[in-house]
Amino acid sequence: MSLIDLQSWLLQEGIREDLDKIIRLTVRNELDNLAPDISAPSTEPIDWPKLILAGSILARSEKRTDQDAALRIATAAVTLKDDQALTDAGIVLMGKLSNFRAITLATERSLVATNLHGRLGVSLHLEAQRRDIDHAILVQSSGAWLPVNDFQQRFWANAVGASWLSASAPTASGKTFLVLQWLIDQVIAGESRVVVYLAPTRALVSEIETSLKRLLGNSELIDVTSLPFPVNYRTARAGGARIIYIFTQERLHLLANVLDDEFSVDLLIVDEAHKIGDNQRGVILQDAVERITRANPELKAVFISPATENPEELLTDAPIGVQTVAVNSDSSTVLQNLLVAAQLPRKSKLWELTLRQQDSELPIGTLQLASKPVGLKKRLAFIAAAVGERGGTLVYTNGAGEAEEVADLISQLLPELESIDPELSQLAELARKGVHQDFRLAPLVELGVAFHYGNMPSLLRLEIERLFRLGKIRFLVCTSTLIEGVNLSCRTIVVRGPRKGKGHPMEPHDFWNLAGRAGRWGDEFQGNIICIDPEDTQAWPEGIPNRARHHIKRESDAVLELGDSMENYLSKRGKSDLSNMKDKDKFEQVGAYLLTTFMRLGSISAASLAKRHDAASIAKLDQTLGSLADKIEIDVDLASRHPGVNAIGLQRLLEAFRTYSGDVENLLPANVSSNDSYDRFITIMGRINEHLFPAFTPQGRIRLYALIVVKWLKGYSLAKIIRDSIDWHQEVGRSFKLPELIRDTMELVEQIARFRAPKYLSAYMNVLHFYLHEIGRKELIEDDLDIGTQLEFGVSSTTLLSLMELGISRMSAVTLYENIARDDLSRKECIEWIAERVNQFQAMNIPAIIIREVRENLSLFD
Amino acid sequence: MPAKPIHLGPMYFKKRGDAVEYLKKMLHRYDVGDRVNSDDAVILQAALEHHPDSAAKIGCGITDFSVRSADYGTKCFWVNRPDGTTEKFSITGSIHGK
Repeated sequence: MSLIDLQSWLLQEGIREDLDKIIRLTVRNELDNLAPDISAPSTEPIDWPKLILAGSILARSEKRTDQDAALRIATAAVTLKDDQALTDAGIVLMGKLSNFRAITLATERSLVATNLHGRLGVSLHLEAQRRDIDHAILVQSSGAWLPVNDFQQRFWANAVGASWLSASAPTASGKTFLVLQWLIDQVIAGESRVVVYLAPTRALVSEIETSLKRLLGNSELIDVTSLPFPVNYRTARAGGARIIYIFTQERLHLLANVLDDEFSVDLLIVDEAHKIGDNQRGVILQDAVERITRANPELKAVFISPATENPEELLTDAPIGVQTVAVNSDSSTVLQNLLVAAQLPRKSKLWELTLRQQDSELPIGTLQLASKPVGLKKRLAFIAAAVGERGGTLVYTNGAGEAEEVADLISQLLPELESIDPELSQLAELARKGVHQDFRLAPLVELGVAFHYGNMPSLLRLEIERLFRLGKIRFLVCTSTLIEGVNLSCRTIVVRGPRKGKGHPMEPHDFWNLAGRAGRWGDEFQGNIICIDPEDTQAWPEGIPNRARHHIKRESDAVLELGDSMENYLSKRGKSDLSNMKDKDKFEQVGAYLLTTFMRLGSISAASLAKRHDAASIAKLDQTLGSLADKIEIDVDLASRHPGVNAIGLQRLLEAFRTYSGDVENLLPANVSSNDSYDRFITIMGRINEHLFPAFTPQGRIRLYALIVVKWLKGYSLAKIIRDSIDWHQEVGRSFKLPELIRDTMELVEQIARFRAPKYLSAYMNVLHFYLHEIGRKELIEDDLDIGTQLEFGVSSTTLLSLMELGISRMSAVTLYENIARDDLSRKECIEWIAERVNQFQAMNIPAIIIREVRENLSLFD
Repeated sequence: MPAKPIHLGPMYFKKRGDAVEYLKKMLHRYDVGDRVNSDDAVILQAALEHHPDSAAKIGCGITDFSVRSADYGTKCFWVNRPDGTTEKFSITGSIHGK
């Protein structure tokens, strides 16, 4: 019998019965409010020596199921029995799996007696020592040895040199932690002076920025910023502090536009790199990677993605001659229990829990609910509150409104706490002062429950995540923002009929991206995923998805594979009225990318993407692109500055400027302090809709969009924008629901003021500047901060900009700015202002979390 | 009732209705948010001086004029004053005094 045959026999027959017994016992330990176990106890006791031996054989396999079984045996040996020899054996088995964090956890929980090495025989002791040495890496910058697992070790070994690397591993493999360590090492001990870390969501950007700053402490050697300002770049290039920029793909282009020919990056890291396949923003990410590579073909690039089956796909566009290497891992570090919950017939308070495994099911027990769950929201809330009572419980909902309601229901089932933790009180204070006195989040967090969605201000969201990690928030109700790239793991996830975005059932890889968050490596031995109503086809149209990994495919490739659709779209785009164009969401961004690529190269057959598609369709596209490009006078540099904005649109806008009969000064946005500003934005947005792209639709909402843009640029706080909206509703006698009004305002800020407006207004300004040069009116061009940057950060005054340059969030910057009289303070003057008054901040009614953020960023400690 | 002529700066209108028509056309040449050009501003200033509330409307003086939104999705002329304040006025109000 070969080793593989032996491993397979062990799982199927050899230890199956005992393995099921320990699975059942370990899983039951994880769940709260189970009815007492009434199943007939097995007469045969568990054969532990056999299990341990089987575990060590399975640990040598590379198959995920074998590794999982070995980890299950190790975990059971450590946690189920109070038997020193057995626990020691479990620890040795964890060592064989190089799961050092599980060993540390067992030690921290005093599950293993001290001096383990003394109890092991000589050969086991030597073997363990050798493993420790084998599975440690030297961090050059600090001289420290870091224990690592197999994936981490392979990453570290392959990341040396100039080659491009693409690494993929499931959530909770210690990817981000290791990459950040490696990054710091590269910048301190290596040659990289300018690093760009691309993270495809603003949520992930702020998270990575915070983590890096914490890891670096007060290093004067490295600056970390998420603001696209050239000052750090120039300092780094001049030999001063090196710089790590953390950007979304859109923000990267803002920096590249300012620096123009100067722009060159030494090291690029792309996190959540599988998002190169996302609809609409995937191609912008691809464009960003290509732009950075064009600027410096010697660049070193590292891509990271969670559980993908083809990470090497990301390396196909590496410059010729650059070596590439993919590091892929599918092994888990924490046991993940996938459980389904189905109601017992006619007993709505009793729910049968069953564990789903590769090809079998295992009954685990019956969950008892405190009340009858009438309606779907209650079902989700009550099951979550019962099964995950001990905390670390994440509940997935299909929208921000639902998240609030489910959180509210859960909070009603929890016992009132004797006293409120001070950090929870501070979070509640921030929610009340930073959003609204009656924002639902505030009373909930006081009970240890929170909700979480993408449009929330980052300071608030990061604090929620931090307190959830600490266990102070016990239940977190989230939305798809979490799978869009927030590194947050939990002990238990509860989910029913998950959708991604608005209404689309989740694909298996997305579901497993979510499910993968169950299990905090180093904090827990197991993670649980509870799927409610598994047989309900409305909730789960395709059933509960089997474990799947993401298949990476660029958005551009996916669109090109649709046959002639892209070409048809481009032909129509050149002629027809934009408002009638169907499918513009699908094709506009990629169409823009193709046209710009054509304008740069003279043919897309010369582009890297051509090798992935058949020559005939590329030639056909080339012809269409050629006839479009013939009519475009906008130069390729201008078009490249605005990825996702079609050069045809830019040309149309230029033509509209040329036929404009009014005073050209009226084409420029009015300063936000001017009375004309709001109306001018209305007209400009209308012009953009008509000529460039219908970005601000429906037309009837333009006034609202313009209003938000003006308030945002004026540096108003979210709380003030919400208050103004309430006042307006009351003045004109319109009814409103507060939670909805708050959510809508947050959405307008994030989606319009910070996403659409910067993208299209900065393109508008660029074409206008082109036109002003053309007619000899360049004196009208002001050398101000680019409108895109102003909008993304919601700043128009020097003081507010200086505050944000210090690294504090907009929420904090705006709160301070409300107390600062002058609008022209430099960074240094802002620091002086803060240092003089920081001890009075509390008396000035500034929320404690804001005070803490300011102190941390300015190193002003009590 | 005989037609009442009106002078607005360099412009002469035989009937007030013609003046209203002229100013409405002027208004429609502009988009909301536009600053009114200096030639049109001379005529507008004359019109505003004709307004029954001209003293209150003009207040501390006239810097220039803008076109901005008014109620119910319409647009109208606004007078901008040196102190940063601004106020809308209606064309018919200025010409017919209502």
